[in-house]
Amino acid sequence: MGRDGHPTSPGQPSSSGLREFSEQTEVGGIFLQALMRRQLRLSLGVAAVFFVFLGAQPLLSTVWRPWTRWEVAGVPVTWVVLGVLSYPLLVWLGRHYVRRAEEVDEEFTDLLR
Amino acid sequence: MTPSVAAVLGLVAMALISILAGLFARRYSRTTSDFMVAARAVPPRVNAAAISGEYLSAASFLGVAGLVMQFGYDVLWYPVGYAAGYLLLLLFVAGPLRRFGAYTIPDFAEGRFDSPKFRRLAVILVLVIGFFYALPQMKAAGLTVETASGLPYWVGVAVVAVVVVTAVTGGGMRGITLVQSLQFAAKIFAISLPAFLLLLHFGGPATPFAAARGQLVRLPASTTYRVSRGELWQLPRATSLDVEGEALVLWSREDPVRAPGAVTAEVGDTPAPSSPVRGSKHLLLFGRQRIPAGTLVWGGSATVLVPKGQPAPFGSATPAATTASWSAPFGPLAGGSGHPLLFTYSLILAIVLGTIGLPHILVRFYTNPDARAARRTALLVLVLLGAFYLWPPVFGALGRALDPSLYGNNLTDAVVLVLPSLLGGWLGQLLLAVVAAGAFAAFTSTLSGLLVSLAGALGHDVYGRWLRPSASAHRRRVAFQVAAVGAGALAAALGLMVGQFDISVLVGWAFAIAASSFFPLLVLGIWWPRLTTRAAALGVALGGGTATLAIVTTMVATLSPQVEDFLARSSGLAVILAQPAIVTVPLAFATMVLGSLLRPGPPPGVAAKLVQLHAPELLGLRSDYIPE
Repeated sequence: MGRDGHPTSPGQPSSSGLREFSEQTEVGGIFLQALMRRQLRLSLGVAAVFFVFLGAQPLLSTVWRPWTRWEVAGVPVTWVVLGVLSYPLLVWLGRHYVRRAEEVDEEFTDLLR
Repeated sequence: MTPSVAAVLGLVAMALISILAGLFARRYSRTTSDFMVAARAVPPRVNAAAISGEYLSAASFLGVAGLVMQFGYDVLWYPVGYAAGYLLLLLFVAGPLRRFGAYTIPDFAEGRFDSPKFRRLAVILVLVIGFFYALPQMKAAGLTVETASGLPYWVGVAVVAVVVVTAVTGGGMRGITLVQSLQFAAKIFAISLPAFLLLLHFGGPATPFAAARGQLVRLPASTTYRVSRGELWQLPRATSLDVEGEALVLWSREDPVRAPGAVTAEVGDTPAPSSPVRGSKHLLLFGRQRIPAGTLVWGGSATVLVPKGQPAPFGSATPAATTASWSAPFGPLAGGSGHPLLFTYSLILAIVLGTIGLPHILVRFYTNPDARAARRTALLVLVLLGAFYLWPPVFGALGRALDPSLYGNNLTDAVVLVLPSLLGGWLGQLLLAVVAAGAFAAFTSTLSGLLVSLAGALGHDVYGRWLRPSASAHRRRVAFQVAAVGAGALAAALGLMVGQFDISVLVGWAFAIAASSFFPLLVLGIWWPRLTTRAAALGVALGGGTATLAIVTTMVATLSPQVEDFLARSSGLAVILAQPAIVTVPLAFATMVLGSLLRPGPPPGVAAKLVQLHAPELLGLRSDYIPE
């Protein structure tokens, strides 16, 4: 894409859907909006899961203190949940997101072709 | 910590490796694109290691362990938040930003809004954030070299500045990508191996918490402290001290008396005059004596032996908490604020959101071939960061059980550098060399990333676009190198002046400014078509400006007693000024959204920009904003 906003893409778009999309017609705008909305919904969902996981811990420590005294193998459960389990959860959520985001991109490409 | 030959050898080895790798990469760096974005051809695996290498700064390698040792559970939010920032970066920014295909954040600001003025604003913020982030790295460099070798603070700062400038001017982005991925390997090895062996040798991860049942931290061995006039000790229980010769102290049961001038008597005075401070009294200590629980201010230099099994004295830096409150949520860190839940939430927000706005981190995503690779890179970074951040808290927790003398010496920041020697013998010395090398890798890799970002802003943006738009590619590359030398020298000079600020506090400030300016710009710029140029610029200026102002006020307060007194009387204001993200991030967002809604009119060609940001590469529409 050139700086003036005109496509300088290699190879001319072949299908009509792709042309509408790359030339930013009204129909193309609707396509784009749909794509952005799907990607954004996916991202917000994944982010929400992690923020609930993080945010629930201090809340639980406030309203139900007993869990802060639980231990596994002599280590407080609070330390294990926050300091250890957070990382595999982050990786799992990240992997889930990358897969789904690539799927959304591929479905969108198929739709336009 | 006594200077150690092994630690010095570790530092020297890491410095040599870094310089050699930088010189080696010089051969392969020819074009401007090599210098700026490593020719956009870095595979995800190497790029992820380089990004992690750059991101894991001294605050992560040394600071987190020290803070865990001081404050316990509440500090775990730091490493988790640092890692979680990357999840958000992956979710909202990584892919689209790479598709846009610019060199720097200022490129994005100009390209997305077609506004050269916006670029200048962004350049200024890149420089502000970059320098704020560089200062704590310089401080860590000075401190590490000082503790490891006994050489003065400025030597560490100077050595690191030279190493980093060599690597950056030599190979640019391509060179430091190689160096930083090597440095990541050094760091993860240096943190995990010693921590694992320490756990193995000292009875597993339950060791620090077993002490919780005894409530108090007791010294595992007799310890000799060297104290100086004005130094403060908190004694959580009655403690036996063995003073060499005589020493005068001001003792009080409750409120710590912090002013060095509080001790008004001399050792020769008999009887010691009563203290002008209410509820406190002067004590003349000699030989072995039992001092009741309370606070001491030492009246002069003295050598004090605290016998084995006595409660560890705490210096001024750490609140003297029982191990039970240290290991539980809302301990001395969050609990001390009066609003523990609110404090915890605002801490999480500032750390997680700040990561997304750090310009020197974002620029790395342009080094990927495409958005798919950018996403995979961010995912790999999550794996690598998770593997790293498991370990610093282990050091911090073990430090509380194994070497609580660090509390009395205010040396908790050095816990990672000290603990390996407890393993004793050649293994202890070898691991000491390894952690020293890891610490060196930590601040040099972050500094080299910052320097590329700063030199990029000065050479590519200020010189190449602002001052001399007609300059040739060769001249731009020379400008980049000159800017790298200048920025390195300036950061070193500033680094000499920040000795009195906490490493983690300084890093937190850089995060707060980034979270209040570039984070809302990127998220709204990528996902909200109706964002107008005027509102976006106003939001960046207001958010970044107020955050910077708040932080500078706090810095001035640290240096000027009058301002500090004024802030101390209004505690709410002081908290917000010191941790401004909770106010300035919403301010920036609100400005951008309201401004765009009240005076609508998104920049022309916004549809084309959004296609560029979001259209999958598979469609074959892509080309970079700045072509090769």
